[in-house]
Amino acid sequence: MPSAARMPRCFSVMLSRFIHAIHTEDPGFEEPAATRERLKESFPRGATRRMTQPGLLIATALAGLAPGEDDTLVYASCYAESRALESYLESFPTPSPTLFQTSIHPGSVQQAFIGRQQPVRHFFPHAGRAQLVVHAVQTALLAPAPRTILCGGEERGTWLREQRAASDRTFAFALLLTPEPAGALGKISLVASADAVPEKFLLPAFFDALHARQAIDAAVAAGLRLTLTWQVVWP
Amino acid sequence: MSFPAENTSIRVAASGCLTPFGDTNATLAALLRGECALRPTPVLGAEGGDAVPLALCPGHTLNETAPPAWLRLLGSLAEKIPGNGWGSPRRPVFVTSSNFGVGSLHAFRHTRDPAHLAFATPSATVGLLQTQLGWGANVALLSHACVSAHLGLLLATRTLHAGLADEALVFSFDFLSPFVTGGFHALKILHADFPAPYQNRDTGSIGLGDGAAFAVLTRERGDFAVLAQSLHNEMHHFTANQPDGAGFDACLAPLAAAAAHRRPWLKGHGTGTLEAGRLEATALARAFPGAPLVSWKGSLGHTLGSCGLVELALAAAALRAGRTPGTIGSAPPAFTAAVALENFDNRSFDTVLCASNAFGGAHAALLLSHA
Repeated sequence: MPSAARMPRCFSVMLSRFIHAIHTEDPGFEEPAATRERLKESFPRGATRRMTQPGLLIATALAGLAPGEDDTLVYASCYAESRALESYLESFPTPSPTLFQTSIHPGSVQQAFIGRQQPVRHFFPHAGRAQLVVHAVQTALLAPAPRTILCGGEERGTWLREQRAASDRTFAFALLLTPEPAGALGKISLVASADAVPEKFLLPAFFDALHARQAIDAAVAAGLRLTLTWQVVWP
Repeated sequence: MSFPAENTSIRVAASGCLTPFGDTNATLAALLRGECALRPTPVLGAEGGDAVPLALCPGHTLNETAPPAWLRLLGSLAEKIPGNGWGSPRRPVFVTSSNFGVGSLHAFRHTRDPAHLAFATPSATVGLLQTQLGWGANVALLSHACVSAHLGLLLATRTLHAGLADEALVFSFDFLSPFVTGGFHALKILHADFPAPYQNRDTGSIGLGDGAAFAVLTRERGDFAVLAQSLHNEMHHFTANQPDGAGFDACLAPLAAAAAHRRPWLKGHGTGTLEAGRLEATALARAFPGAPLVSWKGSLGHTLGSCGLVELALAAAALRAGRTPGTIGSAPPAFTAAVALENFDNRSFDTVLCASNAFGGAHAALLLSHA
């Protein structure tokens, strides 16, 4: 769980980056149509008509980070496009080509980037659940690019949620990471810790910590801790 | 801006694949005989629909069972993976797929049988696979449509070079279901015509196939090496490439530079669509003048997120055998003179470029050679 605990001295930092920008979207139980109405002024006229709720939220989260072609982009989502997936399945026996496209992981990020006509060289969309956070963070921290964007989110499903095959929350986030400490808002690290016993640390908990600017010190995998600290003076 | 290839070489200690023809050796032999695994099959399985070219593994039907029939097939593939302790902290697994268990999701929607739900999400599917194969928890999942496998290879490479692992396993699987066949049929690129990759004809078409594969990557061991890797995402359109082929060029240019003193042959993506095939063949001819180009999807069909790993295993086997299968299913005229329709002796070449493309204008490619 997120905590403000200080890091014990026995830990050795394996990988780290500094956070230079962050945007989170926490619309609660807002329906997709309401999200579209709320955010439509942020997009070119007519552009939101075919965008999904996660597409709108990810695009909004990414917009302030000014993604560029040489950034590395990492995306994390357990269920991704839940509503599009539900609607596509409902469209059988005459499957919808549009819903097929948008239901595919990582359709929401592609909506955001195609809308901006913004190419990106390295894009790593992660799926999974129990190890999703640690693997997405590790991918971001291993990236050799000067700027890495770590983004993610979920969309609250309807009938798939009732079957535990979709998220029960909607949210989105985006972090801009660089190796440069000057002016950083925070720091995210994976640190080796021989005695770390993995605890449950899922994507919604990671989002909640980001949204509330809480620190994180969590054993996210065997021998590995995820630490997140905010607004400190870096040595 | 010119972007360098990820040219930190990594060894391939082992690789293997599973297709409707069988294992790697059986598949290579069938391709060299010019055989086609695609069969006209109702697009929605038991629900019928147009007959479209699909290549299904023996024992796997389009309509998903619970548990999925392909779990047993993956078990037989996994038996060929050398070593143990996969999924432990120093031996990570990178599972890549565009489908995971989405066929089970479709089956649940269709039959309302909750037994399908145990396989209906990527994490649930891979969790069951972890249990069946005895893997630990260190299993990363990646899904980026038809370049998924390449992403697993690149992340495994980075993990090894960062010293975070001793060996890494990349494992990929995609098995067909009405979910995916219905989608491609709705996009009107999967229809009655069989695919003819790189053939200059009036209409394009693809075939789809079951496929699974693995590669064990190490820093120092193995008789093949991935010399360099490159990615690019156009983000121009969901289902179309930039019309000038710039996306293909952006992905290939770093690899052309890395292969400047090599003699490559080219295993392209080549699904059978017209515009993408023309752009790809032309871009490859620009980047690698004179290098012969083949696609095997006219026989195997498009194995989706796993195609990069299935075809890597076959390319390695072709290098080992000294014979490269030609572009099965295609006939003259081809988009470029470099398209090899027939088998050829590859012993005068020292490298193969393996390329894949995906929705969103995603491109991925790598250079493979003897170590």
